[in-house]
Formats: sequence, C-alpha cells, structure tokens
Amino acid sequence: MFNTTMQRIRISASTVTQICKSKDCLGVLIMIPHGRRCLSSSSCLYGKVFPRQKPRVVPEIAGLEPVTYADRMHFVPGLAKPRFPKWERGWKNPNHYESPKPEEMKLFKDKPCYIFNQRTSVVEGVRQALWLSKSAVIKEFPAQILSLAEDPANQIEDQDERVQNAIKSALLWDTTDDQPPRERYCPMLVHRLLHLCGVLQVRHPELAKRMLAEKYNLAATWRRGEDVFQVRGHNGLLLNSMNPLPVLAGPEQIQGTADQELETFFPIAPTIDLQCTNVYQEKSTTGFREGYPCPHAHTLYVMEMGNTPKLLPEQLRAKMIMFCFGNALVRAKALYGDEPRVLEKPIVVQSVATNGRIFQFVVFQLNTTELQSDSGVKNLVWVDEDKPLYEHAQARAHIKRRVVKIPAGLSGYQPETFKKFLALFLHGAT
Amino acid sequence: MSVGLLSSALRALCLSGSRTVSSQWAGPSAAASALVGCRGFMTSVCQLQNRTLWKQREKYTIRPIGMKKTGGRDHTGRIKTHGIGGGHKQRHRIIDFQRLRSEPGKEQPVMVEKVLEVRYDPCRSADIALVAGGNRKRWIIASQNMEAGDLIQSCRGIGRMAVLAQEGDAHPVGALPVGTLIHNLELFPGRGAQYIRAAGTCGVLLRKVSGTAIIQLPSKHQIQVLETCVATVGRVSNVDHNKRIIGKAGTNRWLGIRPSSGRWQRKGGWAGRKIRPLPAMKSYINLPTASARA
Repeated sequence: MFNTTMQRIRISASTVTQICKSKDCLGVLIMIPHGRRCLSSSSCLYGKVFPRQKPRVVPEIAGLEPVTYADRMHFVPGLAKPRFPKWERGWKNPNHYESPKPEEMKLFKDKPCYIFNQRTSVVEGVRQALWLSKSAVIKEFPAQILSLAEDPANQIEDQDERVQNAIKSALLWDTTDDQPPRERYCPMLVHRLLHLCGVLQVRHPELAKRMLAEKYNLAATWRRGEDVFQVRGHNGLLLNSMNPLPVLAGPEQIQGTADQELETFFPIAPTIDLQCTNVYQEKSTTGFREGYPCPHAHTLYVMEMGNTPKLLPEQLRAKMIMFCFGNALVRAKALYGDEPRVLEKPIVVQSVATNGRIFQFVVFQLNTTELQSDSGVKNLVWVDEDKPLYEHAQARAHIKRRVVKIPAGLSGYQPETFKKFLALFLHGAT
Repeated sequence: MSVGLLSSALRALCLSGSRTVSSQWAGPSAAASALVGCRGFMTSVCQLQNRTLWKQREKYTIRPIGMKKTGGRDHTGRIKTHGIGGGHKQRHRIIDFQRLRSEPGKEQPVMVEKVLEVRYDPCRSADIALVAGGNRKRWIIASQNMEAGDLIQSCRGIGRMAVLAQEGDAHPVGALPVGTLIHNLELFPGRGAQYIRAAGTCGVLLRKVSGTAIIQLPSKHQIQVLETCVATVGRVSNVDHNKRIIGKAGTNRWLGIRPSSGRWQRKGGWAGRKIRPLPAMKSYINLPTASARA
C-alpha cells in the first residue's frame, strides 16, 4: 500500500522535490503536491516513515581496485560508488570545530590517570581514601586539639548565646521563607561561625596572619603501585596561614605506623569511581602564585553549595581526606622537591565539612611522600565523625495531633561541636 | 517549517507566478493538472513520529536513562498491542544479563563481585542488584536472598565434579549438580540470560546428557541447552510479586495498563484451557550434523 501511495503521488511530487532538498522533510513532501490526502491510505500510514534499513556492507577485497563513476561526475548504474577522501576546509572555522580523537591529542598518554575531583563519590568511602593516600586512621582527636577545645581561656565571652545567634541568623533570620535553601544557609553558617571565631584575634594576634581563599584550583599528582593518581579541581574554602601548623604525632608514633597494614576491600579495586582519563597533565600546583604571603594550608572548609554535589557522610569524609592529602602533598613537593622521601618535618592540614547541621572534622598529617609501595611509614589521619551542632531549627512548630513534636526556633544546641570548630581554628595560633 | 513548505509548494503550483515555473510544463495537459491542483489544499500536515533509538547506547552506564513509552504502537503508528498506555513515568536501568562479562583487558576464570544494594526496578517485576567488582559497577537481576555486602562469584570453568554453588553465583549449567534451582538462563553461550527472569521464578536442572543439559522451565516445559550456557543459582527475587493486590482499576492505570474493550465474555465449562500433555522437549542446540561431526 505504501508503494501504491508513492506511485499515485510520484508524477507531481517531482516538481516539489526540486524546491525542497532536505531529506528530513521527505515525509512531509508526500503530502504537499496536490494538497489533499490520499484517502485509500490510512492517516497513520500517510505521515509515517518506515524504519531505516541497515546500510549494505560492501566487502573490501585487498588488491582489487573498484571501477567507480567518480570521473563521470554523475551516477552510472553498474559502476561502484566512489569513496572520496574527507574534505578539509583549509582554515579553522570556530563555528564548526571538531575535536580530535583522544588518541591524537598532544597530552595523550598510554597509562591512564585516575583523578579524584570534588564530584567523586567513592563507593568504599574512608577506607578507599586511606588506601589512596597511604594513611592510617585514628578515631579520636589528638590531645593538643582536645586541650585547646577544653581550655577556658579560649572561650569566647557569651559563647553559647552568640553561636546560637549565628545559627539563627543563618537559618531563621535570613529570609521570609520558612526555611532558606541549603545552598544558602550552609555557607552562611560557616561564614558566621568563622566570623565569630575571629573575635579572639584580640587575644591571639597570630589570627591576623591568615587568609581565606575560595575557588582555587588544586592539582596534586602521585603514584601508587603502577597507577597514576591526581587530586584536582575546586574543593571549597581554604584558610591559609603564614606559619605551618605544629606537628601532632611524634617520631615514635610516626615510626610505629610502619608496622600497620593498609586495609583492602576485595573484590573492589581502589580505583573504582575515580575519573579515568588518558589525556592528562602531571601537575603539582597549590593554585596560588609564587610568593603568596600565606603559603601554608591551614583548614579546608567543605560545604554544600549550589554547584557541589550532595555526598553521603562517608563519601564526604573521603573527600575531606583526599583534599587534605592533596594540599599537603603539593606543599611537600614545593618544599622538598619531587623525590619521594620521609619528611623530617611533617605537614599538617585540617578539614571541617558540614551539611548545615552535622559537622565532620579531619586532621591529616603527611609524614612521607613515598607512596608507591604499601610498606614503610604511613601518613596519619584523625577523624571525628557526625557531630551535630543542633537538632532542629524551624520557623514553625511541628504539631502532630495537637501535640507539639518539634518546637519553633532553635532546639537541641550542642556546644561541644562548636568547641571543636574553635579548637581547629585556633590551632597553630597559640 | 510545514507552513513554509506549503507556501513554496503552492507558489510552484500557481500559474500566475513566475514564468520560469510555467515554462516547465510540457503542454496544456500539464496546465490542466495544475489547475486541478489549485482547487483546495490542507492547512495541516501529519507530524512525523517522535521515535528515537533510546535503548541503543555505545557505553554501559549504571545511571537510569530516559524511557519512551510506546503506548502499544509500532513504527506504523497503529496499535499493535491493545491495553497499553499511560502509567507512571519510568526510567530504564541497563541490566547486564551476561554474568561472565569481564572488564576489558582483565579476563579471569573466576570473577568475584560485591553487592552494594538491592532495589526496586520499575521496568521489570524482579528486583535488581548493583554489584561492584574491580573497577566497574553494573546492575544484575537479584536473587532471592541477596543482600548488600554479599560476595557473588561468576565462574566459566566446568570441572569433572559438580560445584556446590552458593545462591547468586553464576556457573555454566554443566558445572552444576542435577536438581539445582537456577534462573537467568542463557539459551546460547554468550548471548546473555533470556529465560527465567521474572519475579519469584526458578527452573530445575533435570539431567545432563553428553555435553548438554535438560532444564525444566517455570512453565514445566523442558528445554535442552548446551552445557556452557551460564545460569545463576537460586530463585529470582521479589517472590511475593504474584501476591500483590491491585485493588482498583486506577492501580492498573498507574502501571500503564489501559482498559480492555469489554467484548470478551466469560464462557462456561465447555470453554477454557484443556488438560493436555506437555509438548516435547525443545532443543536449542545448534550442533553440526552427524556426518560433519564424524
């Protein structure tokens, strides 16, 4: 029936075909010639196209040169279809740029590189980050930071009230909505708390020798086994300081990590969920220019901003560890060169991450840049998990069956979390 | 686009247009046909079908991809299957039905994978499981007692002794003991699982005869496959799928099932499915003929 329809339209369709050359409108062309539908075909069939047939595979016989109609410049039945070389424009048209294949790019390398960026959500979490950075984990915080947190001289006057005001300022007093979006109140809370910590500058003048940086590009490269790994990209808010952080673990504890074994997670490879690419550049840069007055990375603050992905707490802790490791590694390479060695003076970097309510704390100490093998001295990580700052902060009370379940305002404030936040901020300034 | 085409076509058909168009006509009969063509025309055209090959992708991904519902229609636009249409929006997850598919460049006889999660899939009645092994994650059909954290194996060897396979492991049917419950059965080696994939179903390995295996399907039919066809041990998950209560006609509308015509009426006892013997065993073995084999 389709062929019958074509035959009926064929006589007058040739006139219209000269005007419209586009193949995409071939189905519409059948309609146009006389402006009326062929009633012997159904309306379904009339406007439809049949599925595209598979192109005929012409076998290429070696040594046999086909006789084509290329010289005649028109189709000749019986001769083979010519195969012309790809047309080259001869100049670069920016509107029609065609990217070359990855194998033809200048930076292409045979060995792939596994890149950890800020969107990476590793499936094994902290264990995978520990393997990638050759670290041993300690679940409790170091004693120096805990003593900083408990020291009464480090308290801010009216600390609890001011912290609660900062929380209310971020969540309850910001907009007229019942709840501002997380991308808004999460950075605002961190900035309010940092501003509150800056009040202690009167007592600790070292706090003035720091700088906050955002949207800087980190690039750290290292080798682990036979693979190349990188940590790259934006990673949050970085507090830089003029002086390095003091070392937390002594030489005996550092040498004691040589006996520890790294945890494996068979059957999953450590490179799962990392971005695998063959076009890469082996770079080690902190993202700051030479001669920057505050060269030491102090604390990395990771928040949920609008353009960063939401990560589960385990993946968030892995991200904190990896970016602390990246910051410490580029600093070590800048100080001691690219040769792998055990550092005489380890490099300490801290990290605080939050989703607006729950805080995670990580302290990383880079003891060695010998990362190729699993033996030898390990790096050290102290992790403090899932510390809520408050329980609820709601503009309206949650009432269920006339019983108030959650009262309006801020409830469930826990001061220990802010004490840890303040201790990490004051670390290196006393 | 269509209106522009209509205007240019009408300009070509009109005699009072440019002379170059009229000079193309061969004589008075062509002019007469042009006059006939100008009498009436439609101001609407049929739309081309919005049908793309959304399932054919170059690269495997575990992310759900957008799904286009057919409404029971084929490429001609006619309803080929009645009663299909509407329903909740679904996203398709690419299931890997070849359990022995190794990572490129890492062929090994035994593959061990870890189950990360078992979850609902809107495109099938069984549950699906996300498994990770090596540097790769993929979706497979979940077996009955599969939980997050389990380790499953996929082997390709057939030994002289039958293996004691755990539930969820994939082995060639020649390596399993007789009487094993299997699912995700391949009909031809390497083609991927095609039989026994629905929720709660399982087949039974009845016999192993000279390089082949005879398997009873959930419909009690018996088939004969080569012993290198891979099957998974155990029963498919979501065992209570046939016990769920639809409850109302609207639930079927959520599932994409439209009302039927109502012309079918229930017959009496003289009509209906008769008790008859099962058909003969169906063989999916494509071996060379006896003369070529000899």
